[in-house]
Amino acid sequence: MSSGNWLAGNGGVYVVGIGLHPYQFPSDTPYTHLGLTAVRGALADAGLAWQQVQAAYVGTTSIGMAAGRVMLRHLGSTGLAVTQVENASASGSFAFRQACMEVAHGISDVVLAMGVDKHGDGRRAANKDGLERLSDTATIPAVKFALMARSYLREHGGGMESMAKVAVKNHGNAALNPYAQFRKPRTLEQVLASPKVAGDLTVQQCCPRGEGAAAVLLVSGQALARLGLDPARCVRVHASAASSERDETRYGDGPIDLVRDSARAALEQAGIGATELDLLELHDAFSVEELLYSEAVGVCQPGEGAAYLERGDSRIGGRCAINASGGLIGMGHPLGPTGIGQVAEIVRQIRGEAEGRQHPAARWGMAHMIGLGSVAIAHVLGGTARG
Amino acid sequence: MTPDLTTLQPLRPTLYRLAADGRSLDFLFAQCPQCRQLSFPANAPGCMHCGHAIDASAQVARPGGGTLLEYVTLHVAMVPGLPTPSIAGDIRIAEQVVEEGVIGVADESLLAPGMALRAVAVPLPSGEHYGCHFVPADARGATT
Repeated sequence: MSSGNWLAGNGGVYVVGIGLHPYQFPSDTPYTHLGLTAVRGALADAGLAWQQVQAAYVGTTSIGMAAGRVMLRHLGSTGLAVTQVENASASGSFAFRQACMEVAHGISDVVLAMGVDKHGDGRRAANKDGLERLSDTATIPAVKFALMARSYLREHGGGMESMAKVAVKNHGNAALNPYAQFRKPRTLEQVLASPKVAGDLTVQQCCPRGEGAAAVLLVSGQALARLGLDPARCVRVHASAASSERDETRYGDGPIDLVRDSARAALEQAGIGATELDLLELHDAFSVEELLYSEAVGVCQPGEGAAYLERGDSRIGGRCAINASGGLIGMGHPLGPTGIGQVAEIVRQIRGEAEGRQHPAARWGMAHMIGLGSVAIAHVLGGTARG
Repeated sequence: MTPDLTTLQPLRPTLYRLAADGRSLDFLFAQCPQCRQLSFPANAPGCMHCGHAIDASAQVARPGGGTLLEYVTLHVAMVPGLPTPSIAGDIRIAEQVVEEGVIGVADESLLAPGMALRAVAVPLPSGEHYGCHFVPADARGATT
C-alpha cells in the first residue's frame, strides 16, 4: 500500500463478512426480508453478533425514506448509527465508501455496509430539474449506451458479435453464481437473436431490473484480533476513489474519462498497476460498457477491449476475470445492492471460496461502478490479514 | 394538407419557437455575460461552460439545427406514447452543446455522422401543440 493512504488508519480496513439475498425478478417479498437475509448472512460469515456492529450504511434507491432503521430494528434496537445513501447504480458502492471512512478514521471498529432495493418507478432527479428537453428519451440510459455502442462499433469495426460476446461470457459466469438473477448460459446466437431494444443492443445484452440485497461487515485492523476473527478470511480494502463527470473534450468520451480517472486514482492509492488486477467487477448494464471500461481501467490497451475478450483474457482463469459474478447483465442490477455485491464477489474470490467459478490465485480485485453515467467510484481490495 | 403551424403552441416553449418561415424552429439559448458562450436551455440556472449565473435577459434565438453526431433506432417504447420504431440522435446544436433529439426520417440509411440537420415543427396528435424533429438540412427523406 502506498504511504499516506487514508485507508491505513485504525490499522487498516478489512471486509470480514459477506452475505446476500439472491437477486431476483420483482416480487411481493418485503425489502426487510431481502435485507435481513443479507445482513444475517454477513454476521454468520464473520462470526460476529449484531450487538457488536456500531454503525450501518444502507444503499438504496427505490424504497423510500429511512429504510435502514425500519429494517434493522428487527435485529435488535442497539442504538447504532444508521445512514441511508442514494447515488443511483452506485448507491451501495458509496455506502461502502462511507463505511470505509468511518472505520479508517477511527470512529468505529465494526461497521455494516449494505444495499437493498425493490424494483422502483425509476424516478430521477434529472426529470425534476425544471428544464425541458428536446427528446423524451434524453435521460434514458439505454438510449445513451446504444448511441455509445454505435460509435464504438463505427470506430472499432468489430461487428455486433464483439459486444454480444460480453453477454455470452457474463451469462455463463452468472449460471455458476447461486445469487444471480439469470442462471442460464446463453449462446452467441441466442444473444444476437433476442429482441432488439435500442440500436445494436439486444435484450440479452441489457441488465435486468429486479430486487435483492447484499451486505458486508467492515472491521478495523486494530480490532481483528480482539474480535477473534480468522485473518485468512479478512480481505483488506486498499483504495476508495470517487469522482463525477467533467466537460467532455470529444463527443462520447465523458463516461470513458470518468471511468479512467476514477480507476487510475484508486490504483494509485493502492499502489498497483491495472495489469496486476486479477478480478474486475464493473458496470456492464449494457454490453458495450465492458469493452470500453476494460480499456479505460487499463487491464488492456485502448481499442483492445474486444480482442481481450476474444482471447479469453477476461474469462475466469484468464489474465483478469471481468465480472466473474456474472456482472450486471447476468447477476442482475437491483441498484442499491449492486456495488456491495461486487465487493462480496471479490472478497469471496480472494478468500478462494468462489466454488464453481473460482479464479485461480486471485489476489487483487477492483469493484468499479458508475451512477447514471455521471458519478464514478472504484475500490481496490487485495490480500488478507494473514499477509 | 399541411396544417397551419402558426395556430399551434410549442410543446416545449422554453426550448424553441416557430421561425419566420412558419415551418422551421428557432432554438432559445442563453448567452453567458461572462464567457459569451451559448447554453441550452435558456432557463438553465447557470452557464453550462463557466458556471456564471444567467437570467432571462441573456436569452437569444438562433436557427434550430446542428450537426448529427450519432443515431440509433429505438425498437421499444421507453417512455409512454413513444412510437416505434423511431430514431434518436445526438446533435451538436451549438459549440460544446450536444442534445439528444428525435430524427424525423424513415430509416437510418438516410443518415450519416457529420450530416447537417435543421429543426422543424411537427404537429402533434393533440391538435394544440407542435413538437421538434430534426431532418436533414437538404430535407430529402424527411418524414415530417
